[in-house]
Amino acid sequence: MSVEIEQSIARMRLPTGLAGLLPALTLIGLFFVVPVLALLLRSVTDPAPGLQNYAALLGDGTYARVFFNTFLVAFVVTVVTVLVAFPVAWMLAIMPPALASLLFGIIILSMWTNLLTRTYAWMVLLQRTGVINRALMAIGITDQPLPLINNLTGVTIGMVYIMLPFMILPLVGTLRAIDPMTLRAAALCGASPLAAFRRILLPLSLPSIAAGGLMVFVMSLGYFVTPALLGGTSNMMLAEMIAQMIQSLLNWGLGSAAAFILLVVTMALYALQLRLVGSKRPAGGA
Amino acid sequence: MTEPFLSIRKLRKAFGAFVAVHDVTLEIPKGEFLTFLGPSGSGKSTTLYAIAGFQDPTSGDVRLQGKSLLAVPSHKRNIGMVFQRYTLFPHLSVAENVAFPLRVRRRPDAEVKRKVADMLSLVRLESFAERLPGALSGGQQQRVALARALAYDPPILLMDEPLSALDKKLREEIQAEIRRIHRETGVTILYVTHDQEEALHLSDRIALFRDGRIEQIGTGEDLYLRPATDFVAGFIGNSNFLAAEHLETVGGAATIRLADGSVLSGINANGSFGSGQKARLMIRPEAFRLERGPRSAELAVEIVDVAFYGERRRIVARTAAGQEIDIRPTSSAMASHDATASRRQVFFDPAAAFLFPA
Repeated sequence: MSVEIEQSIARMRLPTGLAGLLPALTLIGLFFVVPVLALLLRSVTDPAPGLQNYAALLGDGTYARVFFNTFLVAFVVTVVTVLVAFPVAWMLAIMPPALASLLFGIIILSMWTNLLTRTYAWMVLLQRTGVINRALMAIGITDQPLPLINNLTGVTIGMVYIMLPFMILPLVGTLRAIDPMTLRAAALCGASPLAAFRRILLPLSLPSIAAGGLMVFVMSLGYFVTPALLGGTSNMMLAEMIAQMIQSLLNWGLGSAAAFILLVVTMALYALQLRLVGSKRPAGGA
Repeated sequence: MTEPFLSIRKLRKAFGAFVAVHDVTLEIPKGEFLTFLGPSGSGKSTTLYAIAGFQDPTSGDVRLQGKSLLAVPSHKRNIGMVFQRYTLFPHLSVAENVAFPLRVRRRPDAEVKRKVADMLSLVRLESFAERLPGALSGGQQQRVALARALAYDPPILLMDEPLSALDKKLREEIQAEIRRIHRETGVTILYVTHDQEEALHLSDRIALFRDGRIEQIGTGEDLYLRPATDFVAGFIGNSNFLAAEHLETVGGAATIRLADGSVLSGINANGSFGSGQKARLMIRPEAFRLERGPRSAELAVEIVDVAFYGERRRIVARTAAGQEIDIRPTSSAMASHDATASRRQVFFDPAAAFLFPA
C-alpha cells in the first residue's frame, strides 16, 4: 500500500534540470531579459558608444533634482499609504465577513476603474474651485482655496488613493491570520491597547508592511499619469522626464539610461528588503 | 462580615433576547481551585469572560478583594489567563513570551530575568527558552502560556478549556502539572471545562452550569455521591435511570414501585413527591452488587453482554420492563460468578440510589 503511494508520488515528481525549465526560461528571456539588455545597450551606444548618457544624468543638477523629487514623492506616498492602509486593513480584518466582502468589492472596483478617469476625478475634486476647497471654505476652515493641485500635495493624494489597495490587500491577509485571542491574551498580561499594538500587532504585520511598502514605493518610482496630471512643473518625476526625453527630444540614449538607473535602484531596494525581512521570518511559524 | 476573596454577585449577561448567564452568584475563597463545568452554551465561559473583562455583564458585579472589577479594563485587572487555543506571541521566543507581562509593567531587567527562569523551571521548560512557539508541541505551548499567565503573580488564574486541543495522554500529563503548580503557588484558579473527569481530577469545588444557571456547586464527591438534580447525576459519572412510581416517603427514605411491579424502599428522595407521582430512580453502574448485602434492594435482570474492561467488567443487562442498564462490578467480583447465567438478580444499597422527579 505505502509502496504504491510512494511510486505514484515518484511519478508525479516534476521534471527537473535545465530541460524541464526551458519553456519558462525562454519566456522570461524573450520578454524580460532581452528588452532590458536592449535598453542597456541603447543607453551606452546612442548617440555614440560610451557612458556619456550616465555622466550627463548623474552630473547635472537639473536631473539630480528630478531623481531626488522622484524618491521624495515615492517615499511620502509610501509612508502615507501605510498610515492610511493599516487602520482600514484592521477594520476589514475584524469586521463581520459579509460587510468586509462588500467593502473589499468597493476597493477592488476602484482598482478596476480606468486610471485616467480616477485621476481626472481627483483634478475636479482638488482644483481651486473644486468640491473640497468649496466645502472647506463653506465650513470656515479656510477663507482662501488651499493649493491642493499642481504640487506635491496633489500628487501624494492622487497616488496614495491609487496605491491603497496594493497595501490593504496583503495587510488584511496578515492581520486576519492573527488570532484575536492573542490580543486578548496580551491585554490580560497587562498590555494597554497601545502597548499591544506596538509589541504584538505591529511586529507581526511588519513583514507584510515591508512587502506592501516596497511594492508601493517601486510602483510610485515609475508612476507617470498621476504625477503628470496632478503634479506641478517644478516637481517633475522620473517617468515624466523619460517621456519628455523620448517623445519630445527623441533622445533614446538618455531616456534608456534614466530607465536603467531606475531599474538598478529598484532591484537594489528589493535585495535590501529580502535581506531585512526575508531572513527574519520565524522558523516553523504558521 | 468580611468580604470573600472573589465574589460574583447576581451576574447576568444577555445577548439580545438570549440570556447566557442568569443571575449567577458565587463566592470563591483565596487559593481555591474552582471548576466551571457544563455542556457548551451553559454560560460557563461567558461567566469567565466577565471576570476577565472581555464581556461587560448586563447586570451584577464581580468583586475581587472587596473591589468591583467592572470598571477596570482587562489590562489593569492583573488577572492571569490560559486560553483554549494557543495564544503565545509567535514572533517572541518562549523566554520573551514569559517576560512579556513583566516588560509591559516595566520591571527591571534583573527581576525579569530571574522571574522568567523561575517560571520556566516551574513548567519544566528551561531548555526551551530560546525557541519560538511554532517549534513547540501543543502541550509545551500551553505550559508556556501557563508560565506567562503566572509570571506577574496574579491573584487569580483563569483557564478556559486549556487542554481541549490536546490528546488524552498529554491532557493527563498536564492535568498533573496544573495540580502541582496550584499546590506550589497557591494561586486561586477558576477553570472552565466540559470534561467531567477533568473537573473531578483537578478541582476543590465544581460549579455545574446548565442553561446559564449553577445547577449545583460542591466538591466532586458532593456532586457524584449526592447529586442535587437528575441533570447533575446524568452529567457527572455514568448513571442508570429507571422509570418508577413514588408510593410514600418517610424521613427522606422513599418507597417506590418499578415498572416491573417490584417495590423498593429506603431510596434517597430528592425533593418531595406525591403518592403515585411518576419519578426516576438513579443508580450508579458501580453501585450494583452481584451478591446480596446487608441492606440490599434487588432487581431482576437479563444479562445481554459482558465485557472485560481491566479493573472492572461492564455488563449490559435488561430489566423486566425492557430497559437496558449498565452494571460495572469489579472484575474479581465477577470472576466468582457464572457469567453465562442469563437471568439473575442484581443488588444495590438503596441509600446509594436517588429518586428524582420525572
